[in-house]
Amino acid sequence: MTVSNAIRRPAPSASGSDAKGLPKGRQADRSRASRWRNMVWVLPAVLLLCVFCYLPLVQNLGFSLLKWDIYSGRQTFIGADNYLKMFNDPIFWKSLLNNTLYAGISIVFQVFGALVLAALVEGLPSPRWRGALRAIYFVPSAISLTVAGLLFYFIYEPRMGILNAALETLGLGNFAQAWLGQENTAIFGIIAMSQWQGFGYCTLLFAVALQRIPSELFEAASIDGVGPVRRFFFISLPLVREMSSLMMIVTVSGAFQVFNEVMVMTTGGPNNSSQVLGTWLYRSGFVRNDFGYAAAIATAVFVITLVLAVLQLRLAKRRRVEW
Amino acid sequence: MRKSTHILTALLAGTALALTGCAGGSEPVAQLDLQKEPEYSGTLSILTKFGGDPLEPYFEDLAEEYTKLHPDVSFELIQETDQSIKDKTKTLTASQALPDIYFTWAGNWANNFIDGGLAADLTPVIAPGTDWGSTFGESSLKAFERDGKFFAVPLYNNGKFMGYNQKVFKELGLNPPSTFEELISSCSVLKDAGYEPIAFGNKDGWPGLHYLQQLFAYEVPTEELEADFDPKTAKLENQGYIRAMEQFTELINECTGSGKDSNGVLYTTAQQALATGTAGMYYQEVLEFDTTASEGSQLKNDGLGIFKLPASAAAKGDTKAIEGSPEGYLINPKSENAALAVDFMKFATSKENATKLSSPPYGQPSAVKGVVSEHNSTGPVVEGIKQVNDASEAIIWLDSVTVPDVADAWLAGGEALVAGTQSPQQVLDAVRSASSAAK
Repeated sequence: MTVSNAIRRPAPSASGSDAKGLPKGRQADRSRASRWRNMVWVLPAVLLLCVFCYLPLVQNLGFSLLKWDIYSGRQTFIGADNYLKMFNDPIFWKSLLNNTLYAGISIVFQVFGALVLAALVEGLPSPRWRGALRAIYFVPSAISLTVAGLLFYFIYEPRMGILNAALETLGLGNFAQAWLGQENTAIFGIIAMSQWQGFGYCTLLFAVALQRIPSELFEAASIDGVGPVRRFFFISLPLVREMSSLMMIVTVSGAFQVFNEVMVMTTGGPNNSSQVLGTWLYRSGFVRNDFGYAAAIATAVFVITLVLAVLQLRLAKRRRVEW
Repeated sequence: MRKSTHILTALLAGTALALTGCAGGSEPVAQLDLQKEPEYSGTLSILTKFGGDPLEPYFEDLAEEYTKLHPDVSFELIQETDQSIKDKTKTLTASQALPDIYFTWAGNWANNFIDGGLAADLTPVIAPGTDWGSTFGESSLKAFERDGKFFAVPLYNNGKFMGYNQKVFKELGLNPPSTFEELISSCSVLKDAGYEPIAFGNKDGWPGLHYLQQLFAYEVPTEELEADFDPKTAKLENQGYIRAMEQFTELINECTGSGKDSNGVLYTTAQQALATGTAGMYYQEVLEFDTTASEGSQLKNDGLGIFKLPASAAAKGDTKAIEGSPEGYLINPKSENAALAVDFMKFATSKENATKLSSPPYGQPSAVKGVVSEHNSTGPVVEGIKQVNDASEAIIWLDSVTVPDVADAWLAGGEALVAGTQSPQQVLDAVRSASSAAK
């Protein structure tokens, strides 16, 4: 076994000096100096992170404690009033519910659904078909959310949209409706578009994770007579845990930060039925001129995503698989 | 541990407040001398609402012409659309980066800038009776009056009318209705003939608000209506609001092709339905007339006629009032080029440029007196502006006349009325509650 120079450490001597005969104090000075020198290398990145990430976070917290009139520039400290208002605001809770729905449905389709699809694609014998299907499923993810939102707006359009036309053609005209124009269907229309857009990306990532599983495991299971479904549940599923955890974090965080598609497709309407936290934050600030309240919503979004990410990371750590 | 957590929290909160610079305020602005001869040099920044076709070239051409006259003056044009300008203006306001000249609606929208010290007092140069002020219609100037002072340069007038296809009306033996009840009856005639009676798209919410505001003006006495716009004096108790909302839902159900589905339809789709001859009517602003009946469209051939949304025979408000208000431009009092900005706006509202603005393809009826005529504007634009001038009262748009929280409650309520998920009483209760919270 060889040890590289970079990690070789001199053995301490019994007399309290190192191999070169330096006393312990000077040795500590050197290592401290070396630590500081290393810090210089990471300092620019830390500074950038502080200025562009943590400083706005702290500033936002400050704004959430203010009543801020953007016209006069007057800022008045009002303590936790914005947070109290938030707890009593039915649209905030409606938005939170919509985000939670978004997250739940996304986990089903973009994590579990994508994993099943990836396993099916990777199980195909023909490498040509595997490549082609991966590309086909990935294409929607290459389209920007704004463009996809507009595209689906026209698909859902009650009178000219192809969805209602297709339903009519199939004799299901009774189901045709204004998908984005009704309070009980608008948010589901947006979520469905989002699944279409994000599904392929998740499938691709799962395909990569599945490819990393040693093929011997599948071969051994096949020789023992294990069928494809059991192979999926007992080999594929446990061995892509890490990727599924990552996908859960990305999907859930994304679901609480959703904005573009809602703005393009419904702007949160009708009657605020498709508001999500991001759009309600935006509307509170830029339409209702209540920037302090908007900052309080932003803090809530931050806390929710932070807690969810920490929880999921902890879970993922416990479930780490190595082979 | 707990003690250190408390200290950390206190430190964080303190830092957060220190970083936000709590209790700031606008600095007092030095008195501007807008009458002095400007220095013809520097860059003028302008935020316009003329983004996109066909309006975008108007300010571009103006800037080019002005630069020809004054070569040391350059321009930074920020051109936004009707929807995007709201966000852009607020972002620029919050970041204290308003341009030298910027667009405004009348009502609460303009008052916010005036009260916040973000609009220069133009009284010495534009008040009625001054050289420049005398070129404008007085009602246009008064739309931006606050405490006896005048703050904006009105660029064009506007009003809301029902546009109809003249050929279709003639074929079906219909005349422009004079009461709301007649309007509903004419819808069934159009429907039976295979036309969509009134094209309506409420995806953005405000098209519904425009109907509601005109109907409120008809059903609620003016004094009470105006008091209700301000949360400090609002009572919102008049039954006229309920009647107006009932009329609105009747119109949606009886006259529009999309009915309860209208919240999923864009207003431009509705505009197209009239332009292509599939719809008989479409409720629109004067500013839209030349776009709806553009050159080569079916409507241009068939003829665009207009009439004021008719009031119910039993209406208890002002049936001669019309919804609409001029739109104008404010000058940033902190601008180093304020005098130059005034000079540029005088250039923009010269007879020649005002005529150009009122003519196709722009079709924006200038607020300058005597400019809109058969010689340079289309028939419907001339007729519309005549009716606006003859109206007893100009009622400002519902989404800009009142405070944003109340306007937002009306907007959500309008969408709920269209979808049929709330009754007029429920909508009024929600608006009342928003208004009392905004006091």
